[in-house]
Amino acid sequence: MESFLVRYRNLLVLLSILLAQIIGLATQVHRTGEGRNTLDAGDLPSVRLIRLWANALVSPPEQMIHSTKMGAGWLWQNYIDLRNVRQQNGDLQKTIDRLRLEQAALLEDARQGERLQGLLKFQEKYIYKTVAAQAIGSSGSEQSRVVYIDKGSADGLARDMAVITPEGIVGKVRDVFPHTAQVLAIDDQTSGAGVILETTRIRGILRGNANGQPQIVDILADKRIQKGESVLTAGGDDIFPRGLAVGVVDQVVPDPDRDGFINITVTPAAHLDRLDEVLIITSTEPRFSEQQQQDIATSETEKKQEAAALAEQRKASEIMAERLPGLIDPNLPHDEQPLYDSSNPIQVARPPQALHPDRFTPGAVAAAAGAFSGDDSSVEKQKTTPEADSAPGADSATPPPAKPQPRPASPVKPAGTAAESKPNRSTGVESQPPAPPQDQPRRNP
Amino acid sequence: MEIRRYPILAYALVPLAALVLQAWLPRVAGRYAWFDLPLVVTVYFALGRRSPIQGTLMGAAMGLFEDALTHHAIGVNGIAKTAVGFLAASVGIRIDVENHTIRLLLSFLLSLLSSVIVVFVSHFLLGLDLEWNWYTMLYTAIVNAVIALFLFPLLDRLQVRE
Repeated sequence: MESFLVRYRNLLVLLSILLAQIIGLATQVHRTGEGRNTLDAGDLPSVRLIRLWANALVSPPEQMIHSTKMGAGWLWQNYIDLRNVRQQNGDLQKTIDRLRLEQAALLEDARQGERLQGLLKFQEKYIYKTVAAQAIGSSGSEQSRVVYIDKGSADGLARDMAVITPEGIVGKVRDVFPHTAQVLAIDDQTSGAGVILETTRIRGILRGNANGQPQIVDILADKRIQKGESVLTAGGDDIFPRGLAVGVVDQVVPDPDRDGFINITVTPAAHLDRLDEVLIITSTEPRFSEQQQQDIATSETEKKQEAAALAEQRKASEIMAERLPGLIDPNLPHDEQPLYDSSNPIQVARPPQALHPDRFTPGAVAAAAGAFSGDDSSVEKQKTTPEADSAPGADSATPPPAKPQPRPASPVKPAGTAAESKPNRSTGVESQPPAPPQDQPRRNP
Repeated sequence: MEIRRYPILAYALVPLAALVLQAWLPRVAGRYAWFDLPLVVTVYFALGRRSPIQGTLMGAAMGLFEDALTHHAIGVNGIAKTAVGFLAASVGIRIDVENHTIRLLLSFLLSLLSSVIVVFVSHFLLGLDLEWNWYTMLYTAIVNAVIALFLFPLLDRLQVRE
């Protein structure tokens, strides 16, 4: 027996280590209801302990390397490459002051929008608080696209928080350690994010493929999907807020496993291969800082003051209108309107009478009923009736109208005869006799 | 055949440096990070020590450590590198590993073997629904062989001469 153990010592050690690892693997995998094997979403305590040890061993050197790199960059930016910084600082301070007020107004709008959406039972998430972190390392494996960041549970991070950059989404927090956290990138095969195509509004699930490229899977073939279309987060996965940039459509390829389905390869908006600084969304609830609350209060006070000033102006104008005599009283008949009161010292201004009235003079042209069309007979000798001049309220000092001058005959022939000689009641103008026919020679006035 | 000996610190720091660089360098190399430094270091120490038990233990430790940094099950890389460490040490007993060509070939073949074992364990043993890019495995094996060609002579300088 002893010689057997000695002789096969190497093989026995190998088999025992392999067997221990296989048993360990078996405890980490479970079968789903669909008959597929999958890894547990949360690690077992023993597995988590191993990950914690590994992280505690690797993270300090990684942070040291990263700090050295950042320190060199900081030294260059803050001591060597300093030109026009004071001027820029002043300009930026002005911009900040302006943006703070704008932001306060926007926050108010957002808060109001949330209230309205709450009334409509519509759940929408806004980014209210983020934590900035530096990417310090990776898993080092092609099959596991995770990134390690230098912030952990001590900084308020928790599992399943969204990780983004200003360009687009990066992934979600998968595991949290005291001072570091593991971020599962969107190009990993086990990741998943609800996305929507911006133009065609087609929804799908984004996950990585074997080449490390994010792709939208389980999509029915649609010819409207074109290369370059923007992809946004759909907001239905309880991780990413709606409307964040994901990337653009790079390629549309048929699903090799299922007819009628396509896979859409996406070029990510965030530079997943060279991540440096990322933002972790720690809150999608409205929690304003003291400064923001102060700005909102200031903005609200200003709005109230403006509204009060407007109301006061309106009230003053109403009082003034009540005190001033009205020109038209709706309760009085037409003849007794203050507008036509001759005792009123303020007379209504009327246009002066024309010294040489012609057909363009107001009131000199016959109404449509008495109008003529055709030849010279339409030209009438117009006569201004006394009634027209003695309108109520007319100025008695107004000089009498000048006598109409004879006018040349028009070549237009009149349309009627009997009605033409009747005076026009509405205008007080009497029709003139018809002019000679058109074939007659025109008379020079 | 000569059994190489190294300072205690070398056994601790070289694997640790390999693990740290493996985790950090992909941030610089981006998607072209086709290398596996822990595997190269495992092969080197297994070949140099010519002890299958030590090769097995070192391979298992490096593999488990790598697994711990991923989000996959712990043990996939552990099994692969355990086998690689054992095989490298077993080969080292029988052939002269000072030759550069043999080192190049061994690193290439053992890298491929490691990748194949990882696929086998993930896909067949665990039944996980993961896709694999065989070209990436091939590129990784080639790059590992090239790295070994330059790294082994550097690590040789660490050995204790009697």
